[in-house]
Amino acid sequence: MFARIAYAFREMWASFRRNLTLTAAAVLTSAIALLLVGTTFLIQRAFENLLVQWSGNVEMIVFVRSDATAEQVSLIDQTIRASPTIIDLSKLRYLDKAASYEEAKRIFAADPVTLSLLTPESIPSQFKVVPLTGDTTLVRSLSEQYRSLPGVEQVALAEDEFEVISTLSRFIRIVTLVMSLVLLVVAVGLIWNTIRTAMFARRREIEVMKLVGATNWFIRVPFMLEGLLQGFIGGAVSCGFLWLLNSAWTNGVSKFTPGTGISSLVVPSGYLSGVMIVLLAIGSLAGAVGSAIAASRFLEV
Amino acid sequence: MIRLENVTKRYGTEIVAVRDASFDIPKGEFVFLVGPSGSGKSTLLRLINRQEKPERGEVWVAGRNINDLPQSRVPYLRRNMGNVFQDYKLLPNKTVFENVAFALEVIGKPRHVIDRQVPPVLDMVGLADMTDRFPNQLSGGEQQRVSIARAFVNRPLIMLADEPTGNLDPATGEGIMALLDDINQTGATVMMATHDHRVVNAMRRRVIQLDRGVIVRDQERGVYE
Repeated sequence: MFARIAYAFREMWASFRRNLTLTAAAVLTSAIALLLVGTTFLIQRAFENLLVQWSGNVEMIVFVRSDATAEQVSLIDQTIRASPTIIDLSKLRYLDKAASYEEAKRIFAADPVTLSLLTPESIPSQFKVVPLTGDTTLVRSLSEQYRSLPGVEQVALAEDEFEVISTLSRFIRIVTLVMSLVLLVVAVGLIWNTIRTAMFARRREIEVMKLVGATNWFIRVPFMLEGLLQGFIGGAVSCGFLWLLNSAWTNGVSKFTPGTGISSLVVPSGYLSGVMIVLLAIGSLAGAVGSAIAASRFLEV
Repeated sequence: MIRLENVTKRYGTEIVAVRDASFDIPKGEFVFLVGPSGSGKSTLLRLINRQEKPERGEVWVAGRNINDLPQSRVPYLRRNMGNVFQDYKLLPNKTVFENVAFALEVIGKPRHVIDRQVPPVLDMVGLADMTDRFPNQLSGGEQQRVSIARAFVNRPLIMLADEPTGNLDPATGEGIMALLDDINQTGATVMMATHDHRVVNAMRRRVIQLDRGVIVRDQERGVYE
């Protein structure tokens, strides 16, 4: 048994060194592919963080008709206060006409045409409502309810940017995932080709091995180990790059004010380690499987 | 030891390599397979070591029908057979000793067994003082002796030789034949394909003659004709 194991490792190492250039190509390709896979994981995680942060900030503005009566305004106020589990009542604010006009002057400072259409009399007063929940459908149904109240002019839901972020993250996730899958296939192909070349160079040896009665597994195992080693090194290289990338990213992002959306893009280091382990595993597995497939084609004697 | 029953082997649909071949070779016999190139000699040998499977008929080796032998058992069948080829099939980057040891190494024999079994075989083939040479430092006859040593080191029941003297001059060929005869004397069944009529006529052993895949003669103590 020991003789067999020693043989397998000796053969693996000899073949690994003999095809150094091809090996380097296979290792680099798998490293790049795995780096992309890892980056996908990180991007996904960062966007998830961002979404959690942003969904906490979805704000609803209930505009009150400028001719609404005081009773109507207080009805709106009561209705909003009737659901304290959904609405963050401590952040609930009512802006009267004067306050609304002040805010409008600030918002439309660069847009005098729009501002000129607004007067302190014609401007609607407004309730600023901050939901507690990130559940957009719940918030949306609540906004429908407010809209049906008398005296309500319009309910503006700041969920558009939320939608943009989640669409964007979905898009990026799909693109990077597809790219990394394609590259992963390419990497397996390259490892497969390396092993095939190694086997072709040794076809006489394999023929002799088969004729003196070596089992297929005995012949295959050194090649599989070689593929596994290539994949593992590829994985390790990609982990290194991923770590550098993430450090640079974390450094850059941490310069932003804490609590803003951007600063939530930092990925926790525990998650990073998890991704690295996954990359090493994928690399090793892909290498071993690729070379097992390559080896099988030469063993049909 | 080796029995064929109505064996037919075709390559593709057109070329018939062996047609309806039957023979029975008892243990310890020495048999020549003769016939012109392309008459099916090599195919017969390849059917016996399961490099090929017959289309029809049965191949029996050591009392076992190898047609239905699962692929995973084929290596164990081959451990009972030694193969010798016209082109030696030595590994150029290994020494004489390593080439012979390789046959034991790849069937998982431990180092101490290898060190015990290889030297006597090299001694038997007359290469005891060349163990550290590489194949390209040897003559054709010496290379063939290495290949015979490799085939015999595991003490197989059967030796299959495909034109072992084909690349050698007559005198060197005689040496090789003497070696195969010695191996036969130890009890191994030897089957040798050749179109070298001198060695056949000199040995006067059983001769199976093939012509375009058909056995046309099976004669005890025969000559080449």
